[in-house]
Amino acid sequence: MSREILSVKGLNAAYGEAKVLFDIDMSVNTGQIVACVGRNGAGKTTLLKSIAGFLKPTSGSVTADNTLLSGMKSYDVAKFGVKYIPQDKKVFFDLTVRENLELGSYATKDYNWDQVIAYFPKLRLLMERKAGHLSGGERQMLMIGRAILGRPKVLLIDEPTEGLAPGIVAQLKSTFREISLKTSLLIVEQNLPLVCAIADKVYAVKDGRIVAELGDKESISVAACERYL
Amino acid sequence: MNALRWWWGILLTFALLGIARVFLPLPFMNEVVIFSIYAMGCNFLIGRVGYISFGQPAYLAFGAYACAFYLFYFGTNPYVGILVGVLGGLIVSLLIGPLFVRLRSDYFAMVNLALAVIVFYLTQKVLVGITHGDNGLWFLTRISSTPLLDLTIPSHFFIFSLLLAALVWAFYKYLDDSIYGACCLATKINENKLQFLGYHNFSIRLLAFVIANSTTALAGAMYAVYLGFVSPEMASPSRAADPVIVTILGGVGTLFGPIVGAIAYTGMKDVISKLIGNWELFIGFLLVFIMLVADKGIWGSLAPVLEKWLFRRKSPDSRGHD
Repeated sequence: MSREILSVKGLNAAYGEAKVLFDIDMSVNTGQIVACVGRNGAGKTTLLKSIAGFLKPTSGSVTADNTLLSGMKSYDVAKFGVKYIPQDKKVFFDLTVRENLELGSYATKDYNWDQVIAYFPKLRLLMERKAGHLSGGERQMLMIGRAILGRPKVLLIDEPTEGLAPGIVAQLKSTFREISLKTSLLIVEQNLPLVCAIADKVYAVKDGRIVAELGDKESISVAACERYL
Repeated sequence: MNALRWWWGILLTFALLGIARVFLPLPFMNEVVIFSIYAMGCNFLIGRVGYISFGQPAYLAFGAYACAFYLFYFGTNPYVGILVGVLGGLIVSLLIGPLFVRLRSDYFAMVNLALAVIVFYLTQKVLVGITHGDNGLWFLTRISSTPLLDLTIPSHFFIFSLLLAALVWAFYKYLDDSIYGACCLATKINENKLQFLGYHNFSIRLLAFVIANSTTALAGAMYAVYLGFVSPEMASPSRAADPVIVTILGGVGTLFGPIVGAIAYTGMKDVISKLIGNWELFIGFLLVFIMLVADKGIWGSLAPVLEKWLFRRKSPDSRGHD
């Protein structure tokens, strides 16, 4: 039985005087993959940062599992189980893959890496390699693998496929589906075919506002998404 | 195998330092060992947390004066004095750390320099009643003899300082290998990313600050016991760059760097000052040269060559991509 795990109500956010988000309402249910689509500068990343506690909303609320996240520090939001994976794929490049995973384990007290290796078997071979020496796809695997330790409630993933080879994108597609069985995903993504393949719900964001909600599988298509871009 | 290599390395290093004592003057060796402890704290701050501090003389003075106050006014046992010195540094670090670690590296460097200036004038002018100002506190004859290792005997002091330096080194080796060490490095690389995982950067930095400055205070207390004397000169801002120079000279963030840096710096100072009047000028030029040709410092540049030569195999990282 699916229930609401993340709820955003009347969210407004600004960078100084420049208002970026306007009255955002959205929700994510358990087991769902929800995507936000929109042009560059539409406010998608700002939305994720506001949910993750990196940007203090000017008004509105963010609730996860009936707990108010607005006003919490970003590290407390992450500890609570709402984790943000940023767009730039900057892992801790001076640390090895193992150390990067240990950081995730130590924070969550979850030392079971089997699930991570099950999703991303290649990481097993790269354990002693410095993360700075990984390819873009491997870094993305590491960031996602590290984030799923501790079974977070929601993963906020910013542009996960940007700059990745098609083969890696295809792998991520099936991995996201598997992860969503345990952890809900809110993904900001411009790759519309991927969005349409995996998303249970799509929000179209334009100029800081949600201009459309495609709430069922049938209504989600590349053409439908493109209308709002 | 890796651990064996490290422990073998440190055992060899400290054994070499012990052997060097036969050929080199005792004051020089004591200076090297204490300076390497001084630099270990600074090295941890710069190499692991990304904080450059020009205020290390202040923490050195906190340790030295805490130890000196104990030995001058209250007791005679040098071991207790050293413990009091470390506690002094620990308490001060805990008190001012929450204010200082909020700052990023450049401001952190300057606020610490300001602290060194404050401590210098406090000990020199304001607290003359208890510090005796520029005259300093003399307590060499008050230090009591102790069984086993008698710290009033310089050769015994050398053994003690060597053992203590090895312990401090092992402690930093443990920190480097621990998840906390990884957290420190992660906060240096990208503090925001660490928050994404649920870590509180402030706590990580504060702990690092306290550990590093307590180590510096330990060095201060050892100087106090070794010399039997402390003066405001210890906190002098003109010496603020010394531990930073030693750290950079040895190799920032490397475990052997502080030891190598201390040997090189003290050695250069010792030899060059006997030959040239304005030795600081020469060392300045030498440092510029080292920065230009070996920005990883002496150990940072030598280590890969030595490793290749000694172990005749490449590390997994040097293989590049599959």
